[in-house]
Amino acid sequence: MAVLLSTEHLTKRFRGLLANEDLSFTLAKGEVRCIIGPNGAGKTTFISMISGHLEPTAGRIWFRDQEITRYSVPRRAQIGIGRKFQTPSVFEGLSAFENLELASMRRAARSTQERKRAVDSILDTIRLSDRRDMPAQFLSHGQRQWLEIGLLLANEVELLLLDEPTAGMTAEETDATGKLVRHLASDRNLSVIIIEHDINFIRELNAPITVLHLGRMLCEGTFEEIAEDERVREVYLGTAAHA
Amino acid sequence: MTMEVKPGRDMAVASRSRMALIRGEDLAAIVVFALLAVIPFVVSGYAVYILPQYMLLGVLAMSLAILWGYAGIVSFGQAAFFAIGAYALGLIMKYATLPVNVAYVGILAGMIGAALIAMIIGYFLFSAGVRSAYFVVATLALSIIVEQTVKSFSTITGGWNGLYVDRMTLTLGPFLEMSLFDDVPMYFTVLAVVIVAYLSVMTVMRSSFGKILVGVRENEDRMLALGFNVPAYKTLAFGLSGLLAGLAGALYATHASFAHPSNAGVLFSTQVVIWTAIGGRRSLLGAFAGAIIVASLSNALSAIKAIQNYWPLIQGLIFIAVIVLFREGLAGLIETIFRKRHHGRAT
Repeated sequence: MAVLLSTEHLTKRFRGLLANEDLSFTLAKGEVRCIIGPNGAGKTTFISMISGHLEPTAGRIWFRDQEITRYSVPRRAQIGIGRKFQTPSVFEGLSAFENLELASMRRAARSTQERKRAVDSILDTIRLSDRRDMPAQFLSHGQRQWLEIGLLLANEVELLLLDEPTAGMTAEETDATGKLVRHLASDRNLSVIIIEHDINFIRELNAPITVLHLGRMLCEGTFEEIAEDERVREVYLGTAAHA
Repeated sequence: MTMEVKPGRDMAVASRSRMALIRGEDLAAIVVFALLAVIPFVVSGYAVYILPQYMLLGVLAMSLAILWGYAGIVSFGQAAFFAIGAYALGLIMKYATLPVNVAYVGILAGMIGAALIAMIIGYFLFSAGVRSAYFVVATLALSIIVEQTVKSFSTITGGWNGLYVDRMTLTLGPFLEMSLFDDVPMYFTVLAVVIVAYLSVMTVMRSSFGKILVGVRENEDRMLALGFNVPAYKTLAFGLSGLLAGLAGALYATHASFAHPSNAGVLFSTQVVIWTAIGGRRSLLGAFAGAIIVASLSNALSAIKAIQNYWPLIQGLIFIAVIVLFREGLAGLIETIFRKRHHGRAT
């Protein structure tokens, strides 16, 4: 499989704190990857270096065949890297439709009709068709999470960085989010990196997992492999291992 | 069930999204412009003389609404662009001899000059990530710089005495000219320009460009993370705002037959912010009407001795009330009233 994203010895130091150390990571095109790890493991720091919101102290980042280590946030978005933030970042005063329409405007559409159709199809994908004209600020937390994923779709990104997409969701919504992520990878051939805490969600997703601990990569593998790993049980699944 | 919107009246307000801005604004615009077109047939004298000046102040307020209402950028530099327009026309009409209508060249020079200066300043400030209060301070400085420059080059500009500007002449064809020396032709010329300016800006603001500006206002960091070149859009918006303010300034100078350093001043810039806030910064028409209403009131009340001294204070209080109570000004207030009445009838 073709490699879409790779990082080489990526390191981030905040004054005395080593948030990420020597992370070498690869993601294939069309792959879904979960990143897990206890609080303070450096998951969000890692995502932020890929999205361009943080500059690495050392190491390099490659996307397709370009080195993007020093690219700005907008430039990375332009080449196809989209990020969903831990706290949903949408256009609060605009309706769901207007949110997506706006995100699609970075690219020229052949016609307004075509743009409208594309937006309506995304609304359907993210299960917000019946909330089309409601301002984002009145959507539930879970719906806003979906809307933000929709923004990335309307923006036509190739890699989605999802920071805790199921936070604040009901069990049913979490389930739908899992289906949505699988749909993105299998039907739209998009690549996804997900930071998650919800063990049930991670198990259901059945995607390769990377475990971070204290800024370093602890191990990588399938859910079963990770669950059996002694070191992981020790640092992370220790209490949840019986689940 | 997660959070839902309460039904009823709240829902009517809630379901209105920001992108639509003021709905029914088209209808309101027709009413306002029709009213302005009828006035010279009904009254004569001072009102017909002074109203075009107020309309041009309205255009100046519109230039701020583009920035403040759409892109969420507050500028205290609008007077600077207005003065650039005024002096460009005044100086070109005074010193240049051209084979074409000098006033046309002067107006164009004022518009383009103001737009270019706005874009140069905007480019550096926006690229450097200067936002909100810091941007306000920079635009305040711009007003002061233009005012001081005009005062310093007094041999050319007339300095603190101001600059006399002729009433322009319209060239309508190779052999047809029309003087705007009289107030009625001047009135209709200004009204026509104002309508064209309003429609043009409205068209731009309803295009994806305007929607992208609203996105910047609503969530600038999200726009950056979606790959939009936000500094470029802000620079263009600032340029368009300068263009419009420059046009207003040039026409104002020829109408008033005068350009003055205070046209660039901080005090005048503050007035523009007040008109726009009172009229409604989210609505081009609201800002336009706000300027006309407040300027007319200022004029009418200054004739009354008892109120005259307190008028700036009253304006200040109205401004604070608008900021605290009706964030979307008169336009927002009128819209809410219509919406409630409509909603009441529907249920």
